[in-house]
Amino acid sequence: MTKAQQPPSRLVDLLAKYGIFLILILIVLALSIITPIVRGDQLFLSSRNLIQVMLQASINLIIAIAMTFIITSGGIDLSVGSIVALAGIVAALSMQAGAGPWVGFLIAVLAGVLCGLFNGFLINVVGLVPFIATLGTMGIFRGLGLIFSEGLPIYGFSRDFLAIFAGRVGAVPVQVLVAIVIAVLGWFVLTQTRFGKYTTAIGGNEETSKLAGISVKRYKFGIYALGGLLTGVASALLTARLSSADPTAGTFYELDAIAATVMGGTSLSGGSGTILGTVVGALVISLVRNGMNLLNVPSFWQQFVIGSVIILAAALDQWRKRQITRS
Amino acid sequence: MAALLELKDIRKSFGAVEALKGVSFDIQPGEVVTLVGDNGAGKSTLIKIISGVHEASSGEMLLNGQAKIFKKPADAMEAGIETVYQHLALIEELDVADNVYLGRETTKGGLLGRAIGLLNRSQMRQETGQALSQLHIKIPAPTLSVRRMSGGQRQAVAIGRAMTWGRQLLILDEPTAALGVEETEQVLRMIERLKDEKGLTFLIISHNMQDVYRVADKVVVLRQGRHVKTLKKSETNPQEIVSYITGALN
Repeated sequence: MTKAQQPPSRLVDLLAKYGIFLILILIVLALSIITPIVRGDQLFLSSRNLIQVMLQASINLIIAIAMTFIITSGGIDLSVGSIVALAGIVAALSMQAGAGPWVGFLIAVLAGVLCGLFNGFLINVVGLVPFIATLGTMGIFRGLGLIFSEGLPIYGFSRDFLAIFAGRVGAVPVQVLVAIVIAVLGWFVLTQTRFGKYTTAIGGNEETSKLAGISVKRYKFGIYALGGLLTGVASALLTARLSSADPTAGTFYELDAIAATVMGGTSLSGGSGTILGTVVGALVISLVRNGMNLLNVPSFWQQFVIGSVIILAAALDQWRKRQITRS
Repeated sequence: MAALLELKDIRKSFGAVEALKGVSFDIQPGEVVTLVGDNGAGKSTLIKIISGVHEASSGEMLLNGQAKIFKKPADAMEAGIETVYQHLALIEELDVADNVYLGRETTKGGLLGRAIGLLNRSQMRQETGQALSQLHIKIPAPTLSVRRMSGGQRQAVAIGRAMTWGRQLLILDEPTAALGVEETEQVLRMIERLKDEKGLTFLIISHNMQDVYRVADKVVVLRQGRHVKTLKKSETNPQEIVSYITGALN
């Protein structure tokens, strides 16, 4: 008998894949019970607050969807936070120089794509492992942002840009709508298209994919370019939300994105990822922060709790893998 | 009869190491040829050249009389040569149909669907089910994840996948090495049946003398990168094959 013959039990499989839904429900239940007791009001469940939770989740979610593709393909991108800063700076400078809001948006996206392609170049052509390549570009992109902006935040560009990308449609912020559209598209691409299937196949077994005739390098280029593109979108939205582009913006965003992705059941070793899980992961992070703010819990504890959820999710994933390889 | 595949003085070097030092043999249509040899004899290198993973340093390869050079696996697949690698046959995370169609997906939704690569999963699943049942391969469902399958089922699916696409030649790398007694028997029977019923041509790498002796028409022995001997099964016996592998006979 070979090693990998024992299938994992359904329960472990389900827990590792969907345990985060359980955590989401528990957090919502807990907060809707505790908030009235502690505060004497039901602020948590108010529509205004729930929209705020989604708004706070939206930028992380867009980057986390990019991260889901990258991690599913067996890679990682540590440079997304720096791309957020660099793309925002480039777009803001162009708008200061007179570019319109849509051109500014496109420039942010284009800057993101170029950063992603550079990551793809380092990984596919130079042959670096993704962790090292993007650890390097994390510094390079952040450095370029600081150089271009001379280390200072950039203010005072078109009001139209803020009106469009930080506006609302009815009660719902545009940024939340953009995140929802990207999540739906991301789900569609990952599960229904050749690109998504190859993303999973490459993460599952790169060598087998190559032997099946898939041009693995081309697809990996595409995956990192997609990562840059979505991060560019997130960067434009953040710039509009803050009405400034800051070279220090986006610091540690890569960690939030990886956290949302891994909590959502995407395996860090590649080959299996779900967009729905990532959506829930991003919501959990946002809910934990929101709930603890409402309850006046010191922000140190937010980090503690989010860290614990990441470890729980990763432990479940490991548990599942051990069951698979146990003979 | 013209040979299906003819290898003429194939050589391959990796830097200073000469992995193949001139291998020549042919495979006739409908034949089962087994490739035997000790570790490091060059068996894997040779099948990787035939399947387009490596390019030969020198030598000639003729498919149905035409000279071929495969620069990548897709070239060999295009020519109708399918390879089932021992450890790299399937992607565990995908289901059976996704594996059978890996690299050859069909799309739906017309031109737009083709442009975005919109997968026609229902068609691929249906045709996978039909193709595998035609080959008498029993799997619970085309939607079953490979991770949930036994070693024998995996090997059957991998061979079925190769069978679905390989019009000319199927290369099997140690098809029974990871299997139990009963599963080995199933795979061997499958090879025999496909040879008899469909006239398929096989090149099989194996360490197992019993398997080799049972399914082979012809045995090609490699030793230290050299082609030592080609034996017809009807004119040899397992002891003789082993003697050539170990170098007791030359």
